[in-house]
Amino acid sequence: MHERLSLRVRFALFFGLIAATIPVVIGIALYLAAQRLDDNPTSQLVLFGGVASFALVGIVAWVAQLFDTHVAAPIVTVGRDLQTLMHANPEHEIHEDDTRYLGILGPTVKEASESMRRLREDVDAKVVEATKSLEEQRLRLETVLRDLNEGVIVCNLDHQVLLYNQQALASLVYDGDLGLGRSIFSVVNRPPFLNTLERLNNRFSSGRYKNHPDGLLVPFVFSTTDGQHVLQGKMSLVVDEEKGQAQSYVLTFSDATKRISSLAKRDRLLRVVVEDFRRPLANLRTSADLLTSSVSVPAEMRDKFESIIAEECAALSDRLEEVTDEYRSIATSTWPMSDVNSANLLSCLTRRYREHPVLRCDVSGEAIWLHCDSNTIVELMDRLVRRALEATGAQVFTVEAASGENRRYLDIVWTGDAIPDGTVQTWLEEEIDHGAGRMTGNDILQHHRSDVWSERIDQGRARLRMPMPDPVVEHTELVNGAPPVRLEFYDFDLLQRGSQSGDLAQRRLRDLTYVVFDTETTGLEPSNGDEMISIAGVRIVNGRVLTGESFDRLINPGRSIPARSTEVHHISEDMVADQPPVEQILPRFRDYVGDSVLVAHNAAFDLRFIELKQELTGVKLDNPVLDTVLLSAIVHDHTDQHTLDAVAERFAIEIPAEKRHTALGDSLATAYVFLKMIDLLEANGITTLEQAQKASEQLVQIRRTQARY
Amino acid sequence: MDGKRCSATILIADDEPNICLALKFLLEDHGCDVRCAMDGEEAIQEIQRSPPDLLLLDLAMPKRSGFEVCQTARSDPKLTSMRILVMSAQCQDVAVEKALALGADGFLAKPFSNAQVVEAITSLIDQGQLNYA
Repeated sequence: MHERLSLRVRFALFFGLIAATIPVVIGIALYLAAQRLDDNPTSQLVLFGGVASFALVGIVAWVAQLFDTHVAAPIVTVGRDLQTLMHANPEHEIHEDDTRYLGILGPTVKEASESMRRLREDVDAKVVEATKSLEEQRLRLETVLRDLNEGVIVCNLDHQVLLYNQQALASLVYDGDLGLGRSIFSVVNRPPFLNTLERLNNRFSSGRYKNHPDGLLVPFVFSTTDGQHVLQGKMSLVVDEEKGQAQSYVLTFSDATKRISSLAKRDRLLRVVVEDFRRPLANLRTSADLLTSSVSVPAEMRDKFESIIAEECAALSDRLEEVTDEYRSIATSTWPMSDVNSANLLSCLTRRYREHPVLRCDVSGEAIWLHCDSNTIVELMDRLVRRALEATGAQVFTVEAASGENRRYLDIVWTGDAIPDGTVQTWLEEEIDHGAGRMTGNDILQHHRSDVWSERIDQGRARLRMPMPDPVVEHTELVNGAPPVRLEFYDFDLLQRGSQSGDLAQRRLRDLTYVVFDTETTGLEPSNGDEMISIAGVRIVNGRVLTGESFDRLINPGRSIPARSTEVHHISEDMVADQPPVEQILPRFRDYVGDSVLVAHNAAFDLRFIELKQELTGVKLDNPVLDTVLLSAIVHDHTDQHTLDAVAERFAIEIPAEKRHTALGDSLATAYVFLKMIDLLEANGITTLEQAQKASEQLVQIRRTQARY
Repeated sequence: MDGKRCSATILIADDEPNICLALKFLLEDHGCDVRCAMDGEEAIQEIQRSPPDLLLLDLAMPKRSGFEVCQTARSDPKLTSMRILVMSAQCQDVAVEKALALGADGFLAKPFSNAQVVEAITSLIDQGQLNYA
């Protein structure tokens, strides 16, 4: 019944209780003192007065405790709940238990939170509607960038990456880490960039770019930091004409390593043919001339010259075989070609026949990757399909890509007889209408070092078969399956932001770059031989968790993994048996972290493992650190529940069960928790890194003091 | 054929008279009955007129290419027992694969030694159980 009392009545009762108690206690004390006044009035009055005072203090303390439990603490809890609701989790529930003694305040706060939630939903819906077309354009841009065969990177003038596409990632990531907000120089060598940028800046500042045939674009060659890959590309400067200043630069590039190495090989082969073949040919010619000339050659010498001819012929044949083998290994011609998904190529082809009155042509089979010039190949296949329609009388064709034992093919299949090779050759000698020039089918095939033939296959069917070169890059994604994971691969807000240098402590929390990390270990005691078996991290740049730029590695701990530990993180000894040891992984992790601020849930635990390996690995992480356990205790001081699960639940962050207790899963959960915390920290007046660190240190001091008592 | 006499009939189809002459001499020396055709069309006429046991076929020939001769021969049911050994200076993998796809039984890259050609022919003759003397 007392839960139904209003807050005012409750306040009145608290003070009424105190007020009523005072005269009662004093009255009893005076009465008892009066009973003993005859003996020693002063001491009796002191005794009963003292007892009465202690009784009053006790009663006031009891009432204060009741007041704290029923009023003060619930008000603080409701306050924190409201903060969470406003800044971090609009779905956050305000529990009735917390407000049951607060009278009308409880239902009112609940009602206010409901209407705020509805209001926010309305606003969100309107924002979604308003940004729909923007989002569509963004998706189109993403698709274009993703499907480009060239690598694209945009950097600001501090060389921080603002945008990259998947091809750039595939072409560049050998030694360093490519990521938003990171320096481009973590993956490529610096000098060619600086030189090229300087040339462009000079061209721009002098105004020469207006008359220059290339405008603000310069072709250049650069290499990856490991020195193993040569890339050929173009840099163009993005400028603000009104302000007269450069803003950023755009790189488009492709991996030229194979092409350049092929050219070098080809040069060498040419030299071999020109120089090495002269010697045996000279021997041959001299001997043959002598034998066929009018000079009288004795029989003994004739035998010698004949054996010289036989030897030199054999040597020339052998050398030719060697040169031929080497020539075959050189990548195909210099004709521009790229890796192409057969599904895309063949659908471009079949689209041409949609309106055709008789011809039906469908794509069948699995999609595979090929290396070709898709435009000319589609033109050639189109020519072949149309000629096959005329020659065979078949009207239904299927086109498919196939992988053989050593080769990949493009096939045109129909029911009927094979076409004579002579006929196919006539088709290949025809010119093909194509923008690239008056090419014949044979020219196109020559560029691909290929040929076409017709042969019978099963069930009365025949095909035209065209071998295609293998893709240059290994494409692992399922081309017929789910679309590739969407990466957060651009952030133009970084254009307005400098690099993460200068006084980090004074910078706003939401402007900093973080690496949120977690480890899985064999146990909880690093000093007693427990080791790391997994380490993962995710980056937060400009307030976004970059799921596509995560670090996730298993580590061979060089010791057994207790079964009870495997039960938690599901990492078994078999899984780590072939993994690199910690001395290989931690340096890579340090490179990944760079100058970011480190964040972890109970950071001291994970850092202790890394610290103990400092001597072995040479890795010392002296980056600033924030601990989400401490930050949670700051923003949610009304509770002592600060486990990752509890904090994530308060912020309505779902951690899939299979991801929980994996280093990457926990890193991601901590990252999302941390982003929510930044809002709450700001609501509590903590906006800079220094303030967050100080507040954390104070909390640690308080806890230490409490622990002492 | 080494050390053995061979009574197989062989048609050499090549537009290079020098190699025809040398191969004819070599194979006749091993006991074969050898004829020559100087282009693709003549080769087709010859195999249709009197099918040889083995056709030694160059790929690059005037009038009809070696590929066409091969394909034509393989589409004729009367010629199924005839072995076809292709020889060519076009030694790209694709050419070899195309020749085999169109019905050739073996491929010999030019230039080759006498021993290599004799060995290749012997091997095909063994597979086809052609006539030995």
